[in-house]
Amino acid sequence: MPMVLLSCDSAIPERQKHIYLKAPDEDTREYLPVSNAATIPGTLSERGCAFCGAKLVIGGVLKDTIQMIHGPIGCAYDTWHTKRYPTDNGHFNMKYVWSTDMKESHIVFGGEKRLEKSMHEAFDEMPDIKRMIVYTTCPTALIGDDVKAVAKKVMQDRPDVDIFTVECPGFSGVSQSKGHHVLNIGWINEKVGTLDAEITSDYTMNFIGDFNIQGDTQLLQTYWDRLGIQVIGHFTGNASYDDLRKMHKAQLNVVNCARSSGYIANELKKQYGIPRLDIDSWGFSYMAEGIRKICAFFGIEERGEKLIEEEFAIWKPKLDWYKERLQGTRMAIWTGGPRLWHWTKSVEDDLGVQVVAMSSKFGHEEDFEKVIARGQEGTYYIDDGNELEFFEIIDLVKPDVIFTGPRVGELVKKLHIPYVNGHAYHNGPYMGFEGFVNLARDMYNAVHNPLKHLAGIDIRVAESNTADQYARAEANPVYQRFFDNPNQASGNDSLMRVAG
Amino acid sequence: MSAEALESKIGDLFDYVQERCLWQFSSRTWDRQANIDGVLAKAADLFLGRSPSRESPEDKLHCAEASVLVSDCRERYPWTGSVDETEVLTLMEGLKSRLVDIAITQSKNRELNHHLY
Amino acid sequence: MTACETAEIPLAEVKFEPKDRAGVINPMYDCQPAGAQFAGIGVTDSIPLVHGGQGCSMFVRLLFAQHFKENFDIASTSLHEESAVFGGTKRVEEGVMVLAKRYPNLRVIPIITTCSTEVIGDDIEGTINVCNRALKKEFPDRKIYLAPVHTPSFKGSQVSGYDECVASIVKTIAKKGKPHDGVNLFPGWVNPGDISLLKHYMKEMDVEATFFMDTESFDSPMLPDKSIQTHGNTTVEHIQDSANAKATFALARYEGASAGEYLRDQFEVPHYLVNTPYGIKNTDDMLRKISEVTGKAIPESLVHERGLALDALADLAHMFFANKKVAIYGHPDLVIGLAEFCLEVELEPVLLLIGDDQGSKYKKDPRIKALKERVHFPMEIIHNADLWELEKRITSGELKLDLIMGHSKGRYIAIYNNIPMVRVGFPTFDRAGLYRKPTVGYRGAMELGEAIANALFAHMEYNKDKEWILNTW
Repeated sequence: MPMVLLSCDSAIPERQKHIYLKAPDEDTREYLPVSNAATIPGTLSERGCAFCGAKLVIGGVLKDTIQMIHGPIGCAYDTWHTKRYPTDNGHFNMKYVWSTDMKESHIVFGGEKRLEKSMHEAFDEMPDIKRMIVYTTCPTALIGDDVKAVAKKVMQDRPDVDIFTVECPGFSGVSQSKGHHVLNIGWINEKVGTLDAEITSDYTMNFIGDFNIQGDTQLLQTYWDRLGIQVIGHFTGNASYDDLRKMHKAQLNVVNCARSSGYIANELKKQYGIPRLDIDSWGFSYMAEGIRKICAFFGIEERGEKLIEEEFAIWKPKLDWYKERLQGTRMAIWTGGPRLWHWTKSVEDDLGVQVVAMSSKFGHEEDFEKVIARGQEGTYYIDDGNELEFFEIIDLVKPDVIFTGPRVGELVKKLHIPYVNGHAYHNGPYMGFEGFVNLARDMYNAVHNPLKHLAGIDIRVAESNTADQYARAEANPVYQRFFDNPNQASGNDSLMRVAG
Repeated sequence: MSAEALESKIGDLFDYVQERCLWQFSSRTWDRQANIDGVLAKAADLFLGRSPSRESPEDKLHCAEASVLVSDCRERYPWTGSVDETEVLTLMEGLKSRLVDIAITQSKNRELNHHLY
Repeated sequence: MTACETAEIPLAEVKFEPKDRAGVINPMYDCQPAGAQFAGIGVTDSIPLVHGGQGCSMFVRLLFAQHFKENFDIASTSLHEESAVFGGTKRVEEGVMVLAKRYPNLRVIPIITTCSTEVIGDDIEGTINVCNRALKKEFPDRKIYLAPVHTPSFKGSQVSGYDECVASIVKTIAKKGKPHDGVNLFPGWVNPGDISLLKHYMKEMDVEATFFMDTESFDSPMLPDKSIQTHGNTTVEHIQDSANAKATFALARYEGASAGEYLRDQFEVPHYLVNTPYGIKNTDDMLRKISEVTGKAIPESLVHERGLALDALADLAHMFFANKKVAIYGHPDLVIGLAEFCLEVELEPVLLLIGDDQGSKYKKDPRIKALKERVHFPMEIIHNADLWELEKRITSGELKLDLIMGHSKGRYIAIYNNIPMVRVGFPTFDRAGLYRKPTVGYRGAMELGEAIANALFAHMEYNKDKEWILNTW
C-alpha cells in the first residue's frame, strides 16, 4: 500500500508523504513517512516550538535550577503548570518560572542589561538556589543578545553559582525536537566533565531520556537500588544540575527516550567511550528485557533475574487480569514520537491491544523506522498529524481509546471516544512493571466508562430502541458525516460542514 | 541446509530483530553498522556455546544485546537448537546482510549520514 | 483574632506602586497574543491564525483546554528559521489559503502577530490585501474577513491583547446599515457562566443585547449525534450590525472597551463604560445604566434575585468575613471589582496585584481612586506585579492572610502556606466546572460569597481551628 492522501488533505497533497498505511510484505525500504520536516502553515498541527523542547521537556525538569527565560512573558507563562514531573525536594521545578519580561525598549536597545538584572534578582530572591539555565526566545535571538557573555559576567560576580545557556528560539527547527538537540549538545560540550562523581558502586550508569513523569524515575530508581547499580545522572528526571555534570563518570548509558536525549548518549559514547544501550522502560516484557541487558552488561545476571521474578510475582497477575479484559481493544497513539514505538508492541504483547493508528508530533524518520518495524499491518503511521486528519483517521480505524494530550482528549470526548493522557499520564507512573499495570488499569477504566454509552442515547427516542441507538452511535462516522453530507450536520458546528 | 530453508531461517531471525532490537536503529550509519557487526558476532559465539570476549565496554554492550537475542531466539525458534557452526556463521552472514540492507543501504532515513549527532 | 486586636483600627494608607524588580518570578498573565486568541475564538466560524512560532498557539490552546476542558481551533503560520531571516508573510498567505480550502465554512481569520513577527516587521496589512485578492479569485462566492491583530508580546499582556483583537475584529467587520434597537454588550474576559447570567438579565429587562464575544458555548455538551458545539456565538452578522446599535455597554475598562470607543467614533453609537459588575453595587449601577439608556424598566424578578444574594451574603458577612484579610490577583477589571465586592461583605482586601506594564493607565483608573478614599485599613496595590510579590510577603511573615482569591497559577502559594484559596478569574484549571458559574451580577456575588465561606469552613475543619463554631450555624 503506498502512502495515503486523506480526503481532508486534497488541498495540501504534500501531506501524502507523511501518512503511511502498512500492508503485508512491505517494509521501511519502500515506505517511510517524511518527518522532522517543516509544518504546513494553517494546518492545525499539534507541534510546539524548539524553546519548549528545551525548557519544558528537559531543562525545566531539574529540581534545583532557576529557569530564566529571556524574552516576553508568554514563553515563561506557557511553559509553567503544563507538566507532571514531581521531584523529591517538594517540586521546586513545577512551582516557579522566571522571565526577564522583555519590553519594547529592550527590543530596541538590547536586553542584556535586563537579563543581567533579572538573573541577580532571581539569585537574591532565592538565596539557596545556586544553579540557573538561561534560555533565549524568538525576540532575544532576533535582536542578537549575547546571553553567554551575560552568564559569564554573572558567574564572575557570583563565584558560587553556575549557569548554563540554551540558545534555541521557538522558530528554530520545525518542532520541539530542535530544542532537545540544542540542549543535549550544549550540555555535553559545556557542562559534562566539570564535576567529579563520588563512586559508590562497581556498577555505574546514566539513565537517559526519562523525565520522572508522575514518578517514573523514582519508580525505576527502586530497581537500580535493588540491583546495586549507581545512577550517576538521570537525564533529567528528578535530577539536580550538578548530577548531570558528572555523566562522564558512568560505565554505561541506558537510553529510554532516544528522540529527546539520544544525542547526549551518542556524544558520551563519542567523547568518553561510554556505550549506549537503548531499552524500552514502558511495557512488561520490555522492562524485563531491559533489566536483563543492563545486568548482562555488568555481569550481575542473577540479581536481575531475582528482581524480575519478584516483580512478576506481584504485578503479572494484575497485568493478566487487565489483559483478559482488554483483548482486542483498538488503540490510537497520538503523542510526541518515541511512545509510538515504545508502546505499539508492548500493548499488543502484554495487553492484547491492537494499535490501529499512530501520529507523531516531532519524531524523526528513525522513529518511524522503529515503529513500522514493530507495528502492525493495517495501521496508520502519521507524521505531524493535524486535526482534520484525526477526524478522518478516527472514521477509518474506529479506535476504542486514544492516548494523547488533554486538549485533543477533550475533542475526541465529543466523539464518545475516551482518551488517556499519553504525555503526562492519567494516574501514573507508567514505566516499569507496576507502571504498566497502571497504564493497563487507566486504559481499562477509560474503555469501560459507562458514560460513553450513555452519550450515544437520544432520550427523544423510545427506550425500546436503545439497543439500536447503541449500534447507531457506534456506526455513526464522524468525518463522513461532517464533511460529505453537510445536510446532516446540526446546530452550529458549522466549521465542520462542507459548503454547499 | 537448502537455500530455501536457509532463507526461511534468516527470515525468522530478521523478523525477530526487526520487532525487538533497537540497536539496529541507532542514529547514524556507523553506529548501526557497529551494532549489527558487534551484536551478531557475539550472537554467533553464543549460539555455538562459546563465551564471547568481554574486553571493551562495546564488547560488553554487544554481549548483553546478543545474550537476550540468543535466548529469545532459542525459545521462539526451536530449530536454533540444532544448527552447526557452518550454519550459524551462514545464518549470521545472511542476517547481517539483510539488516544492513534495511537499516543502512536502503534506509530512507535522511539523517543517517549526517556527520554530527 | 483576639478582641483587643479587633478593636485596634490602624491608619488607612493605600499604597499604589509597581513591583521593584525588573524580572518576573511566576507571572500572573500570559502575553498579548494569548489574549488575542481568546477574543478570536469567540467569533462563530473563526479560526485565529497566529503568526509566529508554533508554541505561541500550541500552549495557548492547551491553556484554554485546561480552563474550559474543551478544544479550540487555533492555527499557526509555523514560523521557521528561514522566515525569521527573510520574512514570514508568505507563510501567512499560505496559512490563510490552507485554512480557507480545508474549512469551507470559515468566515473570519484574525491574523495575530507575535513578538517575533513584529520584530521581523512583517507587513500584515499589505499581506491581508494580497490574501484578499487571492481569496476572491479562489472563492468568488465566499467572503472571509481577515482582521489584522498587532499583538507584540513585549507590550501589555493577555489583557491588552484581548482588547486589541476585539477592536480589530469589530473594525474589520462592522458596517453602517439600518439602525436597530438592540445594544452591544462587551462583557470583557469572563466565563460562559457569566455570559449566561448577563443574557438572563437582558432577557428579564427585555433588552435585545448582542455579546462581544459570546462565549456561552465554551461550555459545550456531549451529544448523541457527536456534534461539536464548542465555538464562539458572536457571528459576522452580529459584528456587522454592531455599528447600528442603539448603544454600547462596556463592562470592562481594559477588555473590549476600545471596540466600543471605535463604534462611537466611527458610527456614532453611544458608548457607556460601566463598572464591571462584580458585587451588588456594581451590578446595580450596570443595570440602572442599561435601564436608563434603553428606557426598559428593571423588573421585579431582578429585585428578587438581588434580594436572594443580599440575604445569603448577610448570613456570612459580619459573622465570618469581617476583618478577614484577603489578597486578590488577576485581571485589573476583575481585581478591582472583587475588591469592591469584598468591601461590601466586610472582607478586607489588603493586597491587590495587577500585572503588566500598563501602570500609567491604572493610575488614572477612577475605581482605584475611589478605593483609596473608601478603605479604612492599610491596602497595597501593586501593578506590574508577579506572584512572587504575594509569595514573599507571606513567607517573610510580613503579610498575614486569611484568604487568597485568584487564578490557578497561584495555587502553590496557597497550598504550601496553608491559606484558604478561592479560584476566580482565568485560568482556574485546578477546580472543576468553575467556568460554568457566574462571578458577575447578583448571582455571581452570592455564589462567590458562598465559595469563600465554604473555603474558610473547610480550612477550619482541616486545621481543627474552631471548627465547632459551625455546630450551630
